[in-house]
Amino acid sequence: MTDTKFDRRDFLVGGAAAGMAVGALAAASEGSSFIGTAHGAMGKGRLTLHAIDTYYGQTKAGLKIDLSRMEDGEYKLLKSVETVERGRTKEPLIPEGELVAGRYELLMHLEEYFNANNAGMPTPPFLADVHIRFGVYNADQKFHVPILFSPWSYSYYRGS
Amino acid sequence: MAGITTHVLDNETGEPGGGMRIDFSVFENGAYKKVRTLHTNSDGRTDGMILKPDETKVGKYELLFHVGEYYRKKGVDLPDPPFVDEVPIRFAVFDNKQHYHVPMLCTPWTCTTYRGS
Repeated sequence: MTDTKFDRRDFLVGGAAAGMAVGALAAASEGSSFIGTAHGAMGKGRLTLHAIDTYYGQTKAGLKIDLSRMEDGEYKLLKSVETVERGRTKEPLIPEGELVAGRYELLMHLEEYFNANNAGMPTPPFLADVHIRFGVYNADQKFHVPILFSPWSYSYYRGS
Repeated sequence: MAGITTHVLDNETGEPGGGMRIDFSVFENGAYKKVRTLHTNSDGRTDGMILKPDETKVGKYELLFHVGEYYRKKGVDLPDPPFVDEVPIRFAVFDNKQHYHVPMLCTPWTCTTYRGS
């Protein structure tokens, strides 16, 4: 997480400058200064998550999360993982060098998690399976997705 | 007051998120079925309730917020695909005598929801 070689801000500044210098780059999407990577190509980036339980103040092990990527208009399951203590996964969701640009989904099984930890949720619970969807537009960048959750709220953002 | 309401807040500008498209679906027979499409007004709310108290049953619902489209219309520079684009919020009504206020706080890089009041 401390490697700044592919820091997003540096990358964007560099990308914008490069865009101005050479005009429309083939990989840049139309009307956007963001530089994308080719469809299906594996880049240098990786995908990680951090699931942060703001109800107990610390994520317990065993939160089940399904990772999917959109293919042909549907989210297709890539893998199912479980968090270890403190809410990270043992391995990156997608390791360095295997990230592909596209639309991703993290399906967080909150109902099962809070039931297993006896949170005393109503039936049906306000939040059960939570879908976190986000786009990876450049497979050379690191995408870190922190998710803050409780039985009554959740939030996610592009971390670093 | 019971029923279902929402409020879109654009945390990029600090203003209400007016003009955002929202698809409202009800979970029936094992699938979410879209029952109506709404747009937020200049206050970031919908003109009427999403579901009035007498229409609200115990069950599962989805609000699909078209966040990417909202920022594209405002001319915000977004990557393709955007980090935050269509955001489905699935939640349950477990007691239809209670009010369910489900706000959406968004920027192109983050979004938040919670049970409000």
